[in-house]
Amino acid sequence: MKVRVDGAVCQGHTLCAMTAPKLFVLRDEDGHAQAVSEEVPADQEELAREAARSCPEQAIVLF
Amino acid sequence: MTAEEDRTGDSRRTGDRISLDRHSTRYRTDFEGLSDEFHAKCPVAWNQEHGGHWFVTGNRQLFDLARRADVLSNDADVRNERRGYDGISIPAIPKERRNGMVGGFIEMDPPAQRHYRNALNPYLSPAAVARWQPVIDEITRACLDEVIETGSIDFVDDLANIVPAVLTMAMLGLPLADWGVYCEPTHASVYTPPGSPDWQRVRDLSVKMAGRLAESLRGIRDNPRPGLVNAVLTADIDGSRPDDGEALGVVQLLIGGGFDTTTALTAHSLEWLAHHPGERDRLSSQWESLRDSATEEFLRYFTPAVGDGRTISQDVEINGTRFGEGERVWLSWAMSNRDASVFDDPHTVRMDRTGNRHASFGLGIHRCIGSNVARATFKTMLRAVLDRMPDFACDPARAVHYDTTGVINGMKHLPATFTPGERLGAGLAETLTKLQRAVDEQRLAEPVTVRRERAVLDD
Ligand code: SF4
Repeated sequence: MKVRVDGAVCQGHTLCAMTAPKLFVLRDEDGHAQAVSEEVPADQEELAREAARSCPEQAIVLF
Repeated sequence: MTAEEDRTGDSRRTGDRISLDRHSTRYRTDFEGLSDEFHAKCPVAWNQEHGGHWFVTGNRQLFDLARRADVLSNDADVRNERRGYDGISIPAIPKERRNGMVGGFIEMDPPAQRHYRNALNPYLSPAAVARWQPVIDEITRACLDEVIETGSIDFVDDLANIVPAVLTMAMLGLPLADWGVYCEPTHASVYTPPGSPDWQRVRDLSVKMAGRLAESLRGIRDNPRPGLVNAVLTADIDGSRPDDGEALGVVQLLIGGGFDTTTALTAHSLEWLAHHPGERDRLSSQWESLRDSATEEFLRYFTPAVGDGRTISQDVEINGTRFGEGERVWLSWAMSNRDASVFDDPHTVRMDRTGNRHASFGLGIHRCIGSNVARATFKTMLRAVLDRMPDFACDPARAVHYDTTGVINGMKHLPATFTPGERLGAGLAETLTKLQRAVDEQRLAEPVTVRRERAVLDD
């Protein structure tokens, strides 16, 4: 599984980092999210799905 | 009208018409029934009240519309220089009553709106807010110490009004001791309608507050000190600095946003926990695992800011509804948060709910800029109450909810009793003096781009 945050859609709600802190980092200046790495470790896949479901802007792309 | 037109739907003509005054008792007392009805029958309805406007409650429909900054405008064109739009209030505030006032960047469109947010985000991002945690803890501690020996508290007056207000003052760069000048008029003007017996008094307090604020702004313009006020005064908005009136509107937006909403969330959540003691004990004992999900669930369920108005800025068809330029729209965050197609059992609080993509902070480019402050402050107050007053009991007969929940779903008073405990430190006044020193000496109100370290408070 791979993950990416669509920077044009993310508005910095921070739910993703709250749900899956190992997968997402928030920029200091505005709290917008980035994936720590594109590869999702096998034991984090469930959290990745949960983060994607929780994102109010639906900015998280799993592929 | 042809059958085809009828099917693709102009809701103004096809029967998806409603008539709902959000300030009515019906909206407040039959909120759940109305939500279910609208979701089933007319997730995008034409509401004939307040001059006619779209009323969007379906979660999917709201999601598809609210993020369309290309077809929505927040503009409050108070001098009729552009298209005369009326900002975010429905019913609209009459232009002659505004005295040229724009309600900050939530009543602006990009690029100006974006310039303000870029200037203020480094004060309000998660990393920026984390630096304030020791201060939030300390204000909360002092508030509880003021009442801990008595066994009784008003959760609104003695806690939930004070902590967000003092913290907001600190972040703005205004004197902490001034919080009381701002607190009452900010809350009371939300729930005191014109014509009520208390209206004149609240108005007088608001005038006094505006005067004090204008004076503080001038002071910071002449002698800059770190904080959001300074960021507003020096912001580069399309190549120029905001004038006094515009700056005042922006700072008032930050005060209004910072004060009333977190208070509303905290009071409602504490009231709910008092009436669900089993859930309260569960939250307390499983705090680490439930803290975040419970917070999001309280945000969803109680949605402090119930919605926002917009104006359609160009003709557009979305999901079969044709919106016309100039028409007004109410985005009901509160009702979309109760849509059963997205939230199982939507009218029940489930503290461990997953996939909770509520819209309580709004959606799209106007997402609440203070959301990280709200979450941190709320969690701190809740944890402290659960620790120090674990058996608190609220008397339903003495709890006072806002008479109208058309703008903010808030509470005026929430008295409670609990087994008295011991003080841990100084009272509020002394604590504020100490905190003011820390704010000044450590320049805590600088943006995170300038100062990264957490506040350090010695005892
Ligand atoms: S939850 Fe969504 S909008 Fe919020 S920071 Fe994460 S990706 Fe961005």
